[in-house]
Amino acid sequence: MAKTIDSNEIINDFATREYEHGFVTDIEMDIAPAGLSEEIVRFISEKKDEPEWLLEWRLRGYKAFLKDKLPEWQNFELPPMDFQGISYYAAPKNKKKYNSLDEVDPELLATFEKLGIPLNEQKVLAGVAVDAVFDSISVATTYKEKLKELGIIFCSIGEAVQEHPELVQKYLGSVVPHSDNIFAALNTAVFSDGSFVYIPKGVRCPMELSTYFRINTQGTGQFERTLIIADEGSYVSYLEGCTAPMRDENQLHAAVVELIALDNAEIKYSTVQNWYPGDKNGKGGIYNFVTKRGACRGVNSKISWTQVETGSAITWKYPSVILQGDNSTGEFYSVAVTGNKQIADTGTKMYHLGRNTKSRIISKGISAGYSNNSYRGLVHVGAKADNARNFTQCDSLLIGDKCGAHTFPYIETKNNTAMVEHEATTSKIGEDQIFYLNQRGIDSEKAVALIINGYAKEVLNQLPMEFAVEAQKLLSITLEGSVG
Amino acid sequence: MAKQVSTPLYQQLLDRFDGGLAIAQQAEPAFLKNARLQAQDSFRNLGFPSTRVEDWKYTNIAPFLKNNYSLDHEHAVLHENTLDAAIIEGLDCYKLVLLNGKLMATGYKEQLPSFIKIRPMAEAKEEAGFQKYFGKQIELEKYHLAALNTASFSDGFFIEVNANANLDKPLHIVHTFSADKDLFVQPRHLIIAHRGASLDVIESVVSDNNAAKMFVNSLSEVVVEENANVNHYVLQTAQEGLRLISHTEVSQKRDSVYSNYTFSLPSAELLRNNLHINLDSEHTESHLYGLYLGADHQLVDNHTFMNHRLAHCESNEIYKGVLLENATGVFNGKVYVHQDAQKTNAFQQNNNLLLSTKATINSKPQLEIFADDVKCSHGSTIGQLSQEALFYLQSRGISEDSARALLVTAFAFDVTEKIKIPELEVYINKLINHHIPANQEMIKI
Repeated sequence: MAKTIDSNEIINDFATREYEHGFVTDIEMDIAPAGLSEEIVRFISEKKDEPEWLLEWRLRGYKAFLKDKLPEWQNFELPPMDFQGISYYAAPKNKKKYNSLDEVDPELLATFEKLGIPLNEQKVLAGVAVDAVFDSISVATTYKEKLKELGIIFCSIGEAVQEHPELVQKYLGSVVPHSDNIFAALNTAVFSDGSFVYIPKGVRCPMELSTYFRINTQGTGQFERTLIIADEGSYVSYLEGCTAPMRDENQLHAAVVELIALDNAEIKYSTVQNWYPGDKNGKGGIYNFVTKRGACRGVNSKISWTQVETGSAITWKYPSVILQGDNSTGEFYSVAVTGNKQIADTGTKMYHLGRNTKSRIISKGISAGYSNNSYRGLVHVGAKADNARNFTQCDSLLIGDKCGAHTFPYIETKNNTAMVEHEATTSKIGEDQIFYLNQRGIDSEKAVALIINGYAKEVLNQLPMEFAVEAQKLLSITLEGSVG
Repeated sequence: MAKQVSTPLYQQLLDRFDGGLAIAQQAEPAFLKNARLQAQDSFRNLGFPSTRVEDWKYTNIAPFLKNNYSLDHEHAVLHENTLDAAIIEGLDCYKLVLLNGKLMATGYKEQLPSFIKIRPMAEAKEEAGFQKYFGKQIELEKYHLAALNTASFSDGFFIEVNANANLDKPLHIVHTFSADKDLFVQPRHLIIAHRGASLDVIESVVSDNNAAKMFVNSLSEVVVEENANVNHYVLQTAQEGLRLISHTEVSQKRDSVYSNYTFSLPSAELLRNNLHINLDSEHTESHLYGLYLGADHQLVDNHTFMNHRLAHCESNEIYKGVLLENATGVFNGKVYVHQDAQKTNAFQQNNNLLLSTKATINSKPQLEIFADDVKCSHGSTIGQLSQEALFYLQSRGISEDSARALLVTAFAFDVTEKIKIPELEVYINKLINHHIPANQEMIKI
C-alpha cells in the first residue's frame, strides 16, 4: 500500500477484517470443525496463504505434538485436556456481544472504573459494538508512520510471512524449536497469528511497542506467536497484554514468544496478564500455558523480562534467557498474585553459555485464598561460561492459612569461576505493619494494598511508567476482600 | 526414557523375593512379613530410579548397577587396617563394629551401661518394642531404595536407650565394608531414644581398599521420643570401591532435639544421603549440619527433607560443599510446611566452593509452604575462594598452599564449630587439611 492511510480507511478495514488475507465470507467456513488433524493444519496454512516451508514446519510441529506426552512434573493437577474438542481455526472477527454498556456485568464495569479506563476502551474490552471513532486507532496510525520512517517492522506474523519471508524463515522457531514441549508443538502446528517486530541496525525504537496499538490484533488469539528481532545495536521495549480484565471463551491459551538480540542489542519485554481467573471456585478460568524464551545471540546483548501476573486460573510459564553472546545480560522480574483457587507455576531459566554473562532474577509471589503460587527456576552455568554471575531472590507472601507458596530453584554449575547466589523467603504480612498503618487512619484493606505495593516495588519499577501505575491498582484490586 | 534403570540386578533381586528370601523370611513375625510384601510390590513397580525421576535427576546410578553383584556376603573378613581408618584420636567412647551391616560380636555388651540395649536386628524382631517403631515413617511407594531395603534387608542393629538415661560417652559405631568380589548389601538399623534420654552417636563408614566394588543400600530409622536429645554424627571416609545409598528416617516427638552432622569425604565413588526429618509433635527442634568435600570422580549427593507437620517447630540447616578435581556435588534441601504447622521457623543454607575447572555442583533448595504464619527462608551460593583473601594471607607470609587450606577450613567452620565433641572437631579439621593440600595442583586456577 503506497498511498497514505487515513483513519476512516482503517476503521473500515477494521470493521471488515473478516475479508482480510482472502478469508472466505462463507459463515460455515469461518470456523474449522473441532479437532486436530493434518488436514486442519493444512487448512489453516492454506487459509493464511502460507509458503511451503511454513506449512512443512507446522506439520513437523504437529508430528512432535502427537509424540509428546503431557508433562507430569508440575506442582499442580493438570486438568484433563481435550485437544480434539477445540476448534483450531476461526477467522478473526469483531466480537459484538452486547449492544450497550448497560448489558455488561456490573462487576466488570466497576473494575474498569477503578482502573480508570476511558469509556470507549471499556466498550471494546467488554465486547460492546463500537461504531464511533475509536481513539487508539488514530493514535496507532500516527505511530505506525513514525516507525516506518525508522525502518522498524511491526506487524502481524501473517503479514510478515507475506512481506518479509526471509526474516521470518531465518528466525522463526530458532529459539523455541517446534518440538520444545507439547504446548509449543501445538502452537507451531496451529498458531493463529501474533506480532512480528524487527528493529534494524543501530535503531533505538522511540516508543514502547504494544499489541494494544497494533490494529489488527483485536481479539488476541488462542495460539499466539510473537517474534521479536533486535538487530545489532538496537533497542526495543515491548508491552504485552493490558491491565483490564480480559474475558475469552477459549480456555486453553498456548502462546509462544521468541526474542532474539544480536550484538549490542537490548530487548525489554513487559507483560501484564489479567485473564479471567474463573469464579470463586476456580471454575471456568483461562489456562495460560506460554513458552517464552529469549536468545542473547550477540555480544553485550541484553534481554529483560518483566511480568505482572494476576489473572488466569492456571498460569504456567517460564520466560527464559539463553545467554550465548559474551558479556550478555538476562533479567527476570516477576510479580505473581493468586487468589481464590488460582494456580501460578512460574519462574525463569537462565542459561549461561558465553563468557562474562550476567543474570538477575527477582520474583515476588503473593498467595491468598485457596491459591497456590510456585516459583520454579533454573540457573545453568555451562563449562565454558567463565565469570558467569547470577543473583536470584524469590520472596513469597502468604495471606490466609489456606494458600501455599513454593519455590523450586535449580542451580547447575559446571564452571569454577561462576558466582551464583540464591535466596528465598516466605512470610506473611506483618501484623505490626498493618497495625502501624491502622493507627494512622488507614483501614486494613488499604494497608494491605500499600504493603503489597511496597513489597512488589522492585518489580513494578521495571515497568514502563503508565503501565506501572495501572499495575499497582491492579494488585490492590486483585487482593480485594482477601484480608480481614 | 523410562523412569527405571534397566539392569539384570533388578530381575536378580525380584527372583530372590520369591526364592531364597521367602524361605528365610518364613519365620518372621506377621507384621514384618506384611511390610516386606508391601515393599516388594513397591520395588517391583518402582525399580531402580533413572534420572527421569525428579529426586535422582542429577544422580545417575545406572553405571553403578552394571557390576555383577553377589547378594551373598557370609564370607567377608574384616581387615585390621580398615578398622584403624575409623579411629578418632583421643576419643573416649563406647565402640560398636559392624561388618557389611552385621554386628560383630566383639564384647560390646559387657562395656555398655545397663540402660542401653544393643542387639542384632535379627534377634529383636519378635519384640513388641521393635514392632512399635519399625518402618512407621517411610513412604515405601515413593522411595525406590527404601522399598528394596525393607523388602530384603538381612540384618543390622537395634539400639534402645531407656527413658531419662543419659549416655555418658559417645557411642561410636563403625560400619566396615569388605569384599573380595562385587557385593550388594542392605543393612537396616533402628535407634530409639526413649522419653528424656540423651545420646551422642558417631557413625563412621569405612571400607577396605580391595578392587571389588560394593553397593550398599542402607536404611536407618531414628526415633527421638518426648524430651529426648540425640546428637547424630555421620562420617563417610570409605575407599573408592564403595557406592553408598544411605537413607535416614528420623521421627521427632514433643520437645525433643535432634542434631545431625553429616561429613561426606573422599573417596567413595557414590555417596547418596537421604535424610528425612519428620516432626510429629509440636515444639521440636532440629539441626542439620553437613559438609561434603568431593574429590577425584566422586559423586556426593545430599537430599534432606524437613517435614514440618505440626506447629511451633524449629529447624535449622546448614550444608557446605567443597568440590575438587572431577567431583560432582548435589544438594537438594526440601522444607515442607503443612497447613497445621503454624509458627514454624525454618532456615536453610547451602554454600558451595568450586575449586576445580572440572567440578560440578547442582543445588536445589526447595520450599513448599502451606501455612501462613511462618518464617521460612533459604539461601544458596556457588563461588570460589576470594583472591583478596588469598592475597591478604600471602602478604602476611603464609604460603599459598596453606592460605588455601586455611580459607577452606574457615569456609567449613560454620559447620565444624557446631560439633559438640572436641576430639571429633579436631579429627574433621585434620581430614579437611589432609585433602586440600593433597589437591593443590587442581585448585590452582
